[in-house]
Amino acid sequence: MNASAGNTRRIAGAAFSFLMLAAIIALFFAYRGRMGALHAPRLSVSIRHLPYYAFCSFYRMLAAYAIALVFSIVYGLGAARGRIWERVMIPAIDIAQSVPVVGFFPAAVYFFVSLAHGSRLGIEMAAIFLIFTSQAWNMALGVFESARTIPADSLEVFEAFGASGWLRLRRLLLPACVPKLVYNSILSWVAGWYFLIACEIITVGPARYRLPGLGSYLMETVGKSRHGEFIAGLLTLLAIIVAMDFIVWQPLSTWAEKFRYEFAAATPELEAPGETVAIVGALYQIGPTILRAFRLILAPPAMVLRAVRERIPPLRPDKFPALERGMRIAGWIAVIAIAVFFAWAIVDGLVALIRALSRPWPPAARDIPIATLASIARLLVAYAISLAWIIPCTLAASTNPRLRQRLASFAEIVGAVPATALFPVIVAFVIQVTGGMNLVSILLILTGMQWYLLFNLLAGVSQVPEDLKEAARAFGLSRVATWRRLMLPALTPSLITGSITAWGGGWNALILSEYFVYQNRTYQVMGLGQLLDVATYETGNGTMILLSLLSMVAVVIALNRLVWRRLYNVAAERYRLDY
Amino acid sequence: MPLLELRHVSKSYPHAKGNLRVIEDVSFTVEEGEFVAIVGPSGCGKSTLLRIINGVVPLTSGQVLYKGRQVDGINRECALVFQSFALMPWLTVEGNIEMPLEALGIPPAERRKRAGLYIDKVGLDGFEEAYPRELSGGMKQRVGLARALAVEPRLLLMDEPFSALDALTAISLREELLDIWRLPDSPVHTILIVTHIIEEAIELADRVIVLSSGPGRVLADLRIDLPRPRDRRSEGFNAFTDKVFSLIEERN
Repeated sequence: MNASAGNTRRIAGAAFSFLMLAAIIALFFAYRGRMGALHAPRLSVSIRHLPYYAFCSFYRMLAAYAIALVFSIVYGLGAARGRIWERVMIPAIDIAQSVPVVGFFPAAVYFFVSLAHGSRLGIEMAAIFLIFTSQAWNMALGVFESARTIPADSLEVFEAFGASGWLRLRRLLLPACVPKLVYNSILSWVAGWYFLIACEIITVGPARYRLPGLGSYLMETVGKSRHGEFIAGLLTLLAIIVAMDFIVWQPLSTWAEKFRYEFAAATPELEAPGETVAIVGALYQIGPTILRAFRLILAPPAMVLRAVRERIPPLRPDKFPALERGMRIAGWIAVIAIAVFFAWAIVDGLVALIRALSRPWPPAARDIPIATLASIARLLVAYAISLAWIIPCTLAASTNPRLRQRLASFAEIVGAVPATALFPVIVAFVIQVTGGMNLVSILLILTGMQWYLLFNLLAGVSQVPEDLKEAARAFGLSRVATWRRLMLPALTPSLITGSITAWGGGWNALILSEYFVYQNRTYQVMGLGQLLDVATYETGNGTMILLSLLSMVAVVIALNRLVWRRLYNVAAERYRLDY
Repeated sequence: MPLLELRHVSKSYPHAKGNLRVIEDVSFTVEEGEFVAIVGPSGCGKSTLLRIINGVVPLTSGQVLYKGRQVDGINRECALVFQSFALMPWLTVEGNIEMPLEALGIPPAERRKRAGLYIDKVGLDGFEEAYPRELSGGMKQRVGLARALAVEPRLLLMDEPFSALDALTAISLREELLDIWRLPDSPVHTILIVTHIIEEAIELADRVIVLSSGPGRVLADLRIDLPRPRDRRSEGFNAFTDKVFSLIEERN
């Protein structure tokens, strides 16, 4: 690739990132002034209310997922329409993905509460929006990748038969997206639980807005030392997650396999299926059954529609040039109207942004550089701890299939539990034992960071091609030589992808870990997350929220562009597994 | 004493419906200096057989004797050439060839010398520093061959080495393999090749062992007494191909 062309693209990408960012923050400030008052509902720790809280959490997840699903299909297919769309829409997702979602929760609360004129609906919308942002991006990317990698000959078939756009969507585009969409949906639910619990926990401390749900219940029970209720809450959460996995995700994954494009060579099945598989096999029928049920429900209205359409003679726009022109003009007017609306909102927000920044900065703003360094230092320590145990573990697992299987099942169980659900316990435990806030903070960051590394590295291990492993064994390479010559290089791309996601998780955990309220006492430690939280919940200083958020996002984007992106490119070039 | 002897070798994998038998009761010998080919339809377990001989895959029952003795684990006097080349993408041509030498504990200076020698033997001079993805398929397999030859194995095992290449490249690589094998100072004297291309087996080998499919059993052990270099259009050659074809056909 041409070096200068790469540079221009990087600079353009960075400029675009900051523009997007400015737009997001500007929108928030445009609505900040219209914020209304909100009454916090009382939170009960009684176990009788647990089902209600579980329901609240679950419906938030479901609502967010439904929006994310529609968004990802529309956005992903839209981005796959052509080069121009791709060039704008994919970098936008890239930025959205790297922004620490939790940091925007306060902003989202202000925005939606003002939108809902201070009703409780506002905070619900904020939470759903937050969960949506944690679910949508990877799903949209999955749809985009699937649509982009549809083999050219399949597309040509539809063109050759003159098939309509609708038929192409239904018979080609959507089916092609199914495997990646299902896979990413599972990941998105894991992420969604994490952020849902985080949102609910955050609202417990400041007591200004409350979200009744499992997260707030867990925090409240720990705060009141109701251990039995806490465990009941945790078990309820686990039960929902496990039930979802068995009833929805596993059958769906099996069903999704049908839509895979690769025709892998048949290999002898090496793992003997046990008893459990037979039970799961019966459950696999559920996926198709759900679909059949949907089709049954949708069949009557669809039949009516079809009957109506057959009665009405088909509209041929080419027969009515005036109509066709009118439709095209109407379309353009709609597009221009939307563009004008967004432009207005952004300008409005930017004016508010500049006004906010031109006011005298609060004295706390001087702490931002040191706070940033302190936060980065904490993230680095947590990252180093993660690497110190995960790399040896994965290497050992890479040459020992039994260990690998054990580690994978361990990761699967641990990965299903949203780490935020354990925040209250860790906080309570460490504060009672040591009282060291730095230690608490690092531990909390660790829980948000390490699993991403483990998952990515374990996935990397399973992707090391069998023939390379066989070659290493056939030529009698020692275990250490196999690690050095085969496993470490082969795992480098996974290590970097894992590190990127781990740091993303780390930044989110950071905001929860540097400031929290436990048993009516505020615990905090100097850092960016603390500055942000104090500005949101204590001083209510808009300029400070803005400055902390801006610094955090600037640091995150700078780290991504200057460190991780470069490392990734090097790794992708050198350690790619295809040749 | 034969260099290699297989006695009643069987292999099965655990499978959804009982065990999947891949190889059943296979016995044959390979003498020092022989070029032996194993042919069979896909799914006859011939590649698995090769890995059992090398020690990468454990057998279910039977015995593999090397120089009259059972080998535990990997046989370090064998070297394997892979159908998919199995080169490390992050190592240069030289690095790939040196990798097994390092495993044998050969000092760096000697490794370099030997890698250079075999790079020269397979005609890859000038590509020492190239990475596998910069090479064509034929060149990749030359690296695979050089890597195996550099070990200077008593027994060279080749698993469908020319199946992933286009027909013309395969022809020239087959000729080069024969040239290397026939040289008086050749590093290998004994070769066991697995292939599904019957003509390839008859062109290369002194003996052809025909396997049936699912599970793999020995159908015939034919001595190919045609003079070298062999002409694919000669009557004798055709007689042999017909014979192998009909053996496999009959079974199916």
